[in-house]
Amino acid sequence: MALLALPGVAFLSVVFLLPLLLLLWSSIRGEGGFTVQGYVRVLGDAYYIGVIGNSLQLGLITTAGAFILGYPAAFALARARGYAQVVLFALVFLPLTVSIIVKSFGWGIVLRRDGILNWLMLNLGLIERPVRMIFTEGALYAGMINVFLPFMVLPVYSVVRMIDPRYGDAAATLGASPWYRFTRVTLPLTLPGVVAGASLVFSLAVAAYVTPSLLMGDRYMTMSMVMAKAFLNLRDWQLGGAMAAVLLAVAAAVVVGASLMQRRLARHGGGA
Amino acid sequence: MTALGVPARAAQAGASSAGHLVVTGTSKRFGAAVVLEDLSLQVAKGEFVSLLGPSGCGKTTLLRCIAGLLRPDAGRITVAGQDITALPAHRRNVGVVFQNYALFPHLTVAENIGFGLRAQGVGRTEAAPRVAEALALVRMAEHADKPVTALSGGQQQRVAVARALVVRPSLLLLDEPFSALDRKLRETMQVELKHLLREVGITAIFVTHDQEEALVVSDRIAVMNAGRIEQLADPATLYGRPVSLYVLDFVGQSTRLAGRVTATQDGMVTVETALGPVRAPGRYAPGSRVAVAVRPEAVTLGEGPAGANRISARVSEISFLGSRTQLHLDLPAEGQDRGVVELPRLPEGVQPGSRVTLAFREADTMAFPA
Repeated sequence: MALLALPGVAFLSVVFLLPLLLLLWSSIRGEGGFTVQGYVRVLGDAYYIGVIGNSLQLGLITTAGAFILGYPAAFALARARGYAQVVLFALVFLPLTVSIIVKSFGWGIVLRRDGILNWLMLNLGLIERPVRMIFTEGALYAGMINVFLPFMVLPVYSVVRMIDPRYGDAAATLGASPWYRFTRVTLPLTLPGVVAGASLVFSLAVAAYVTPSLLMGDRYMTMSMVMAKAFLNLRDWQLGGAMAAVLLAVAAAVVVGASLMQRRLARHGGGA
Repeated sequence: MTALGVPARAAQAGASSAGHLVVTGTSKRFGAAVVLEDLSLQVAKGEFVSLLGPSGCGKTTLLRCIAGLLRPDAGRITVAGQDITALPAHRRNVGVVFQNYALFPHLTVAENIGFGLRAQGVGRTEAAPRVAEALALVRMAEHADKPVTALSGGQQQRVAVARALVVRPSLLLLDEPFSALDRKLRETMQVELKHLLREVGITAIFVTHDQEEALVVSDRIAVMNAGRIEQLADPATLYGRPVSLYVLDFVGQSTRLAGRVTATQDGMVTVETALGPVRAPGRYAPGSRVAVAVRPEAVTLGEGPAGANRISARVSEISFLGSRTQLHLDLPAEGQDRGVVELPRLPEGVQPGSRVTLAFREADTMAFPA
């Protein structure tokens, strides 16, 4: 069976592992050979710590938002029948077919000072003067959740679809209130899907580049934005490489943590 | 009575023995399809009643209405004198053993059984001995900490029963509880479960499409047809005195011949069938179309006693069933006539193609409007 993974492993080695190693090599190469100067700069500077903090915060808030909106949506999708299911599927997955650049520009059009949302609220008399929305953190979170929502819905949906609705019925006939049923039956049974969706959304959001740059610009730097600046503008390979290594460590920690949690859940469920 | 027995408060509620569960005028439709039609049913305390019928007859819908998992469009349901029609499932105290059991896959055997107690706010220390007692009752104590996914079908059923009983429901509903088991195990579990529920003293309603199962486990059987109860009776009456061709066909086998009434006298009719005249008790006008029927074991080979009905037919198939032998008769292909006869022993010389004379008493013969 392991042989079946060989082509994929070989492909990834050439296009992914090799460049990655070169990148990591560049982060520890200095004037006189080996140095940890890049890491000292990244982890010892309040500005870069702030950037890492921004990215982690963005990842966490996007994941939480995607969970709150995506979890019920996944249920609606799994329980819907016929045309309703087709329409819901389209609503969730059509946005994926729209380029992230187009989507982010779309958000700009909706949110800017003379944009649709301000126009609407002005005309409805909800506000007196245009409200500043674009280049605010609120707009960034809304945009990020919009972009990454399907990555939460899909894994949760695939788990919910497999759950027998009779588990809920059985819990009800045993005297469990709707809330008790949700927290002790539904949520534990769907947790594997939530873990998968959350780790997917988090690792995508923490590394996001396009959406934050278009919706926030340079005032709100994320790890990916610092890397792009280091490589493209400053030609500072040491800084870019070190930042990339930190991002990689964060993402790897999330993926490993999530798969360990999955294994634990698979072995003994969510506990009672 | 064990501690799992029917709670004292249910007994004090003063339900008369005639109606622990009373379903009155209950209807349910899904879109244009009428699934339950003005259905009424009374079940006495401690009684076992089966809802028997083919899929689509409304038996599972009725069960879900009683459990509170479906809201009937019309009608009233009371348990122990208390109207539960408007109560949601989790406030009804009606236990359900689901088809395929619906055990929680993320919990152990003991956690599954304790689920209802914990959900109803019973503390850990109080719940533990009751869970242990329920485990012992279904002989699953040594499997307490296993995940339910590691259990066999029979063990899963026992856990499902224990899980439903441990919260002391006022009524237990069982939806096709044996359908997931293989034949041999099914027969053992039917007797075992009946014995267990009797010991606990609970009132139970079984939903099944399997007539043999209904005959084994029930005190009374409700044969359902198109959202109504066609006949509600004890197994012997249902088998011996079915009220309609539908019940006759659904419970047990029979030889059945269509015909026309030629004479009527003193509560007896003479019916002209494809195999000759047959006399049966019944009051039908001469000329009306009826079907006469006789159960397989009421038929003997040969001339039989004086005054018996006699027909002559060709044997098409012989099936050896161990304790008895079944003869299938060759009847004219048109119509719904069929011939099934069961004999304790196959006489020598009878083989497929043989022509035989069959006799059965007039009193054992039934006539139904066709």
